Amino acid sequence: MIRLKYKIGLEIHTQLTESKTKLFCDCDSDYRKYEPNTNVCPICLGLPGALPVPRRNPLKLALAVADSFNCEIPDYMVFTRKHYFYPDLPKNYQITQYEKAGGIPVCLKGILRFFDPDKLLWKSVTLRRMNIEEDPGKTEYSEGNILLSEFAYLDYNRSGVPLLEIVTEPEIETPKDARKAVEYLLLTMEYIGAINPRLEGSFRVDANVSVEGGERVEVKNIGSTLDLEKALKYEIFRQTKIVEEGGKIKRETRHWDSIRGVTKPLRSKETEEEYLYFPDPDIPAIETKPLLMEAKSKEFLTPDKIMDKILMYGVSQKIAWSLVTVKPSAELFLESVRIGANPKIIARILAVDYKGLMKKSGKNIHDKNNWPKKEVLKELSSLITNKVYTYDEIKYNILPKLLENNENISSLLPERIEPSNLIIAVLNEEKKAVQDLISGKKEALDYLVGQVLKKAKGKALDPKLVRKIIEINIKKT
Amino acid sequence: MKKETAFSILEGLKNGSIDFEDYALKRLEIIQKKDPIINAYISLESEEFIRDRIKEIKDDLASGKKMKIPGLIVSIKDNISTNFLPTTAASKILENYVPPYNATVVEKILNEGGIIIGKTNLDEFAMGSTTEFSAYGVTKNPWDITRVPGGSSGGSAASLSYGSADLSLGSDTGGSVRLPASYTATVGLKPTYGTISRYGLIPYANSLEQISPMARSVKDVSLLLDVIKGYDPRDATSLNYEYKEFDEKKFKICVPDEFIEGSENPIKSTIYNLLEKIEGEGIIIEYGAKFDKLNYALSTYYTIAFAEAASNLSRYDGKLYPNYNEGHSYREMSENTRRNNFGFEVKKRILMGIFALSEGFINDYYIAATKGRRLIRDEILKITKDCIIAGSVSPVLPPKIGERINDPLKLYAMDIYTVVANLAGVPALAMPAGFYNNLPIGIQFMAGPFEEKKLLALGSFIEDKTGLYGIIAGD
Ligand SMILES: [Zn+2]
Repeated sequence: MIRLKYKIGLEIHTQLTESKTKLFCDCDSDYRKYEPNTNVCPICLGLPGALPVPRRNPLKLALAVADSFNCEIPDYMVFTRKHYFYPDLPKNYQITQYEKAGGIPVCLKGILRFFDPDKLLWKSVTLRRMNIEEDPGKTEYSEGNILLSEFAYLDYNRSGVPLLEIVTEPEIETPKDARKAVEYLLLTMEYIGAINPRLEGSFRVDANVSVEGGERVEVKNIGSTLDLEKALKYEIFRQTKIVEEGGKIKRETRHWDSIRGVTKPLRSKETEEEYLYFPDPDIPAIETKPLLMEAKSKEFLTPDKIMDKILMYGVSQKIAWSLVTVKPSAELFLESVRIGANPKIIARILAVDYKGLMKKSGKNIHDKNNWPKKEVLKELSSLITNKVYTYDEIKYNILPKLLENNENISSLLPERIEPSNLIIAVLNEEKKAVQDLISGKKEALDYLVGQVLKKAKGKALDPKLVRKIIEINIKKT
Repeated sequence: MKKETAFSILEGLKNGSIDFEDYALKRLEIIQKKDPIINAYISLESEEFIRDRIKEIKDDLASGKKMKIPGLIVSIKDNISTNFLPTTAASKILENYVPPYNATVVEKILNEGGIIIGKTNLDEFAMGSTTEFSAYGVTKNPWDITRVPGGSSGGSAASLSYGSADLSLGSDTGGSVRLPASYTATVGLKPTYGTISRYGLIPYANSLEQISPMARSVKDVSLLLDVIKGYDPRDATSLNYEYKEFDEKKFKICVPDEFIEGSENPIKSTIYNLLEKIEGEGIIIEYGAKFDKLNYALSTYYTIAFAEAASNLSRYDGKLYPNYNEGHSYREMSENTRRNNFGFEVKKRILMGIFALSEGFINDYYIAATKGRRLIRDEILKITKDCIIAGSVSPVLPPKIGERINDPLKLYAMDIYTVVANLAGVPALAMPAGFYNNLPIGIQFMAGPFEEKKLLALGSFIEDKTGLYGIIAGD
């Protein structure tokens, strides 16, 4: 297969799930926990006479995101109406910030720098703009499908939830980079407190791909970053194949079918849609400076800044990135190091061993409450640096118990015992294994170490030390 | 002529010479007698509801609550949301719709002791100048039932004019309280844009309209204005403001030719006579001032109003309101609902609004109109810095029913003098100037932003001088 040059651009629709309020009313921005049509009011139902009043929190969060990507932020924002008839759109117009016809968005041009953890380097893509808009409600079909269903059910709980639409220039070079860019964007928004990207439906990506010599193809409705990479790979493969076979790529919009792993053409529209954009007369222009000042009064630690801080403690880039990707672990690292814990020990616990244990036991690593307290980590760190226990003793004996009880460490500390007597007892009992070991069977050593640990019944023993002592004893014989 | 003002009733209720219940129930009686002909109301409160309401007010009074209008009867235009009476905007598309909330102004009236007796007729979605475009029948002018009461707040004006209410709320998008006031010998004030909350007002043209007080005297209008004014955090266009204080008894009035010369002769002579009568005693009048932008006012106004209307009315597709028509798909349902339940005039305005906003036309229509609007506003602000503008409210006497509605240009031309205040966002007062063949004629005054007190002081001075206040038609 030939290799054609191509360019990728993205349109990322993110919900400001953590803004507490909807964009123009005080209903809950996290609509997921409500019975249908119980998270609504006259404003988000668009009842006649109810008026949209922009809420400060979503605007502040959007400005904080714009600011963290070095956006050009206009002095004023202007909301516009975009008209289209749709059942889940209560007013049949969506309030957005379309630039033509008088709208002014929250960000006009910015830069998304993102980290590539495979190559361990920073890359960037230009942002064309960001705009704030309201999410529509939801339509559900009685048979799950519009063609088979006699009825459609409308749920407006989501109606009016703040969306931040982020548009990049078409300059991303690989599907993997597209995925990394979106992951980094979401991570930044998570640090700012704008989004919980793990909530179902909290973001959606439309991607456009143009291969050399072909027209722009848009792929709509991609719901995860993994799917984004897959959809783009598929689309590039598909387009390359067409070119290879002498075909032409026409301008079209396609839909990502995540179950079959293919893109499918959407019905192409004969004419451009007419949206009748004009500035919303209910919402005067909004000054951005005071809101931005208020947003910045609290320092936002974006992933790059956190990464720099962690790196200053001599942690490797790989481990540092691993900490950064899990917000509570990065925060916990900095907090415990600040009160005197050893950075390398803490980084290893948080980024590798404790995280591994949490994952294995099905605990949510993004929930701060599931992690140990910084004081506990500091204590573990000093037990190791003061040589009371070795790292492995802590790892095998204490970390698993912390999963159940991450408050109080003193009750978990194992009694320290002298291994020699245990070892001698085991060597006397396990004659066959000892014989095997002498005759060169290495597995016998593992078995013997295991037997010693079993006899210790949870008391602190360093497996490495046990191993060493057994080896010395065998050599003596 | 029988005279009755809200102030005199309030005084009577306070000193006990008027009984709360007798008075309120008498209004219901008047309505039952006259409204079958006049058709000022779309929906009415029951006797029982009113008795309960009076009990509530009396309890409040007994507990020492200070209220501004306890026991006064208020009628409310049916495009202002009430959670205790349907709110239809005189459209079939909102038939049986009872909002789950009250407009801010309604809350304020209830809090100050007002008794809301019913919801008044209007042109569908306030789109009209005669109250003939209502889905619930034409409202007739109590002074001559073969004529229109003006619009779109014709129901409110008529309800005052035949004595069924002491105070009324209308809405004024391009003259919708002033025109009916001048046709019924009542008073209407369109306040400065942003000084009365629009929360709960079913929108026609958001950037132009204000809920507006109406009554049978200027002093009564001040009383109602005082009840409904004020900043409202639920309306982003609401301003944090105070009306400018005014206590000197000196007024400078200017009368640009453009605001009067095109009117019918009886109107011109009535207004000139009145002005002559009030000149002197601290009132200076200057004739011949220029306002050459009036030519653009109507096209500017209607372009903006239709564009905003087309947008506002897109929500009525049958999915959220009680009245809808079925269809095999959403598209069919919304098409059927809109086809069968919007009136002709509303459809026409929606289509023109869509046109004004369409790609390829928006620059020549909607955008051009917003530019024209700025020019008109700047000019009005300049003139009103120096003087109060006086002129006609309407260029014609109250038209016969059916006379205007079939000729849209003639119909729209009725608003020529009134749309200017909406385009400029300034306050404007319409009040009785006199009569011609027993038909009321009004005069309009326009002042600078927040100069309501100045306008009302002038109006009050004039009504004392002419005695044209509190007039009830037909009695
Ligand atoms: Zn809401």
